[in-house]
Amino acid sequence: MRDELELLRAANPVPADDGRWRDRPLDATAQRALNRLLHSTRTRRARRRLVLRAEAAVLALVAVLAFTLTDAGSSPAVAAPSALVPHAGRPVPSLDGLARIAEALARTAGPQDGPRRGSHLQSWSLSMGTGPDTASPVAVPEERITRWNADGSGSELVVATDPQHPGRPVIHDDEGRWRTVSDGKVLHRAAYPAGSGARHDGLAARTRPPTDPTALRALLASLYGAADGDGGDADAAAVPQLLMALSSFRQEWTPGPRETAAIVRMLADTKGLRPAGAVTDRLGRRGQAFVHDGPDGAMDATRQMVILDPRTGQLLGTEITFTKDLPDFRITAGEVMSYEAWMP
Amino acid sequence: MSTDDAFAEAYRAHYWAVSRFVARRLDAPAHEVEEVVADVFSIAWRRRTELPDAPLPWLYGVARNCLANTVRGLGRYRRLLHRLGNHEAAHGRQTVQSPDAERPGSWVHEALDRLPAGDQEVLRLTAWEELTVEELAVVLGCGRSAAAMRLHRARRRLRAEIDRTRTTVSVRGGGDGHA
Repeated sequence: MRDELELLRAANPVPADDGRWRDRPLDATAQRALNRLLHSTRTRRARRRLVLRAEAAVLALVAVLAFTLTDAGSSPAVAAPSALVPHAGRPVPSLDGLARIAEALARTAGPQDGPRRGSHLQSWSLSMGTGPDTASPVAVPEERITRWNADGSGSELVVATDPQHPGRPVIHDDEGRWRTVSDGKVLHRAAYPAGSGARHDGLAARTRPPTDPTALRALLASLYGAADGDGGDADAAAVPQLLMALSSFRQEWTPGPRETAAIVRMLADTKGLRPAGAVTDRLGRRGQAFVHDGPDGAMDATRQMVILDPRTGQLLGTEITFTKDLPDFRITAGEVMSYEAWMP
Repeated sequence: MSTDDAFAEAYRAHYWAVSRFVARRLDAPAHEVEEVVADVFSIAWRRRTELPDAPLPWLYGVARNCLANTVRGLGRYRRLLHRLGNHEAAHGRQTVQSPDAERPGSWVHEALDRLPAGDQEVLRLTAWEELTVEELAVVLGCGRSAAAMRLHRARRRLRAEIDRTRTTVSVRGGGDGHA
């Protein structure tokens, strides 16, 4: 008879060599969390140095503040942005139509047309607590630019900024404590010499984005646990996870026309995204919105929106909005949980 | 190596092991597991000057405390969802299903579930996290001999439960294991 520990080992519900939690290089989420921890001390140290220098410059600083902190500068930009409202007046293109446009552009793309490692995005996310004493949700707006070059050199820049409230102080998450920083405050800046790329990579960064929609979906499933699509009802229910996985992957890579075509075709093949009309995103760009109102898993209280460029199919952004009041989080229906705006 | 570098190395080496530790104990969707793992490393970061040369058992110790807090918080969250109405979460439909009754592991899980919580943890740490007795002592915050004794007793109780389960299954189901 087998030893009781052997029996228990054989009944391990989460093995190390299989499934979502198997051993592998860090994924984008884990790598970002590590970067946040590591750079939090760097910014603190940098701040300490700044304090020393600031004494000399204090008079000049007072003058500058008096000049710039007018009515726009007195309150932090914490108010939640309004949800984007698509307008379905004119004929609304389908995802399939956009996929065909993107595929036509992909056929004319040259070798210099990407993809490119790194990304540029502006994001805004709500920090929520739960429980009777929870504080109101706080908005954390950031702009992130990551660049990697062919020789393995690269740079990262994270700035606190809210595109909707230029010039206003911005709330920044400093290791779980909120503090106000000036608009444009550099939260993290790093430059990596040639040959550094491999040391800062997760698997997602090392995997060139597929130009085939099925391969892309499979990759997102293997890297981020998004469900591998079968085109059925379960496929529609997996849309929120798929968009989250797409967002993580988009942070690693800026797609060219070929990869964009694969993204749009993958979304077109996915049940559960409906055309919602034209929309102007928070960077003032014209886009077509596609919305998923179905179940989102645990809370079943959100609407997912993906915005694509109608001329190219390019992924412009995503937005998640609450569809129900969640009093325990001090959330009311219609509030925006997060948005991301991607730049080329 | 600086403390920050040592932390980064431990993070890269053990991120998935800590994730599995949490996933095995938290009956919750993946994003909740990720949140707890982020908390574990955030606390470990604040205590990084205490990071030992062999950091994994120490990280498991941090994770145990985090899980205790999380489970209390999830209790509140699920009660809230229950009040809100027909949420999947309130009905537990999003939770990981326990092993199917047809699977050979399920009766071992049932036997494990019937043991006192302390025994269950010692056995999970030994069988699933594959800790040695010395490492077990670090996670449990006790001496080596106390850890060895706790493991010995837990194994004995598990053996007894397994034997009892098999006898019951055999009597009820004619010994085919599909009662």
